[in-house]
Amino acid sequence: MVESPGVTVILSDLLHLPIRDDSGRTLGVAADARFEITDDDSGRPAHARLIGLVVSRRHAGSFAGYERTSVTAPWPIARYLRWRHRGSFLVLWEDIAEISPQAVRLRSGYGRHPAQL
Amino acid sequence: MNKLLGLALGVLTAIGGFLDIGDLVTNSVVGSRFGLTLGWVVIVGVVGICLFAQMSGRVAAVSGRATFEIIRERLGPRAGVANLAASFLINLMTLTAEVGGVALALQLASSIEPWLWMPVAAFAVWLVVWRVKFSIMENVTGLLGLTLIVFAVALFLLHPDWMQLATQAFQPSVAPAGAVPEAGTTYWYYAIALFGAAMTPYEVFFFSSGAVEEKWSIKDLGESRLNVLVGFPLGGILSLAIAAGAAVVLLPKQIAVTSLSQVVLPVAEAGGKLAIAFVLVGIVAATFGAALETTLSSGYTLAQFFGWSWGKFRKPAQAARFHIAMIICLLIGLGVLATGVDPVAVTEFSVVFSAIALPLTYLPILLVANDPQYMGKYVNGRVTNAFGMVYLVIILVASLAAIPLMIITGAGA
Amino acid sequence: MIARRQQAGANPRRIDARLSLLDRQVLDADRVPVQVVGDLELSHVSLDHPIPPGTPAPVITALLSGPVLATRIFGGRPPTSRLHRIDWADVAEIDVALSLSVRGDTLDVTWVERWVSEHIIGRIPGGHSDPQ
Repeated sequence: MVESPGVTVILSDLLHLPIRDDSGRTLGVAADARFEITDDDSGRPAHARLIGLVVSRRHAGSFAGYERTSVTAPWPIARYLRWRHRGSFLVLWEDIAEISPQAVRLRSGYGRHPAQL
Repeated sequence: MNKLLGLALGVLTAIGGFLDIGDLVTNSVVGSRFGLTLGWVVIVGVVGICLFAQMSGRVAAVSGRATFEIIRERLGPRAGVANLAASFLINLMTLTAEVGGVALALQLASSIEPWLWMPVAAFAVWLVVWRVKFSIMENVTGLLGLTLIVFAVALFLLHPDWMQLATQAFQPSVAPAGAVPEAGTTYWYYAIALFGAAMTPYEVFFFSSGAVEEKWSIKDLGESRLNVLVGFPLGGILSLAIAAGAAVVLLPKQIAVTSLSQVVLPVAEAGGKLAIAFVLVGIVAATFGAALETTLSSGYTLAQFFGWSWGKFRKPAQAARFHIAMIICLLIGLGVLATGVDPVAVTEFSVVFSAIALPLTYLPILLVANDPQYMGKYVNGRVTNAFGMVYLVIILVASLAAIPLMIITGAGA
Repeated sequence: MIARRQQAGANPRRIDARLSLLDRQVLDADRVPVQVVGDLELSHVSLDHPIPPGTPAPVITALLSGPVLATRIFGGRPPTSRLHRIDWADVAEIDVALSLSVRGDTLDVTWVERWVSEHIIGRIPGGHSDPQ
């Protein structure tokens, strides 16, 4: 596994990329990146590992993440935003086959996991 | 006993600090043209600012986060920058109006041209922001601003026809007797202006940042609730007194409000030189206080959005960008005033633009007040949310209608 | 700034970058605001090469700030040399704001604040006096 020489990868490189399955069909865009934080013995968040990307079917903009959290109030706003971001799902790091500056390609047989935190 | 004094101080400061040049001018203009038929807008505005200030104060006390930090975190960079640009520019406009207002009030007191007072006023504002402790600043300007009660006293001394005033207030669709007929669109334009004057966005930036400045915690919430729920409505009553005074003195003679002289005319007629002395002290204190608040708000909005160190509780050298930003804003405001623009005209526009910008600050606060990650168990209750949603609609309608009405009515001409 | 203490949650816990990390305030060890999280630096991500199954996932190696605001709005990204880094190892706590275990003036990112402080604000009389 080789790091592209001289290029630091930052989160913005991944966000908003189209997510495609292995036949090239676009499933959505990367709206967010999910990390697993492990604290060490002193309570420091020592390890922050990327576990997957949140794929949004339509919009990359996630207004305040209403579709993924348990905030339900004020209810008209929450309902509207959930409707707008319906169909979001999580793809795991293990199911990512290749990342290029143009798109993220998934392995065949990738799993769709719930986007709920 | 000390506690009681502290509470009283808080309430009195809230009353005295409620009015600024926007309220003084707009209520006067409205009273002189529409009598008290727009009085209901003041009430709607006062309830709104109570709701808004309460929510933002609670958010700041519980989460330790002030308004623009929250706006950036919740809206993300794109919407956040747009929000910042609009809020900041309107805040700058209001700052210019307030510094101009101080100069106009000093002119009335001294007969020295306002252009000479403006640099003095701007420098004085900076000096207080630079050196004076936050709570002292608030208390002194708030208490001195209480002399504006003379507007209410003047109203009684004028022996108005109370029945007529009541008719105007409770039958807003009927034009006041003796008034020049106004178009419906003009009526609604001034309704929006009055709403913007009551619900000034800078008040919220200042209130929530002040909560962090004074290190409020959950146990301070009760006191702040008292200050807001008692102080602001009493301040609103003063607004109505200004409008009623104008309705009684200016409207019958169709005197147009173009400068501070007309604003204080009802007081002059009621109480002569002594009353004028009181009202001028009050106007200088209120506009100076508002100039301090808008200057600090300009610093707060920039520093909180960009993540700089901020706060009057820090040594200036430890909040350097915060202080330099405020200095630059005061210089810009002074520069605009130096072009000879009429501060009263700037004021009239600033209140309408405040109404336009209101949704930008209001919505993030409403969202965060409901977010358990920030608020823990102190999220909005159902009643607050119900009011909150109703006001969101009102604020959006006012914001969207403002520009079309401004164009149709020629800015209320 | 008083960041609210979260109740002790599960360890490990899951968070989303845009919801909980990006655009958040970073406070130093003395709770003085330092910067806003503009972006995150990731390790071990190879671009344009197929990723062999079983490759370990990338981890966050640094908090980034700099001209990222403009690029996150309009697109593109600043060159690596123009990004200011704070090592992830210096992060002590993640709450409504991120707290560091180091003091702000030891970090490169605060150079603008230090410059304005030394050359402008510090030179005005009263710039160093405690307002309390």
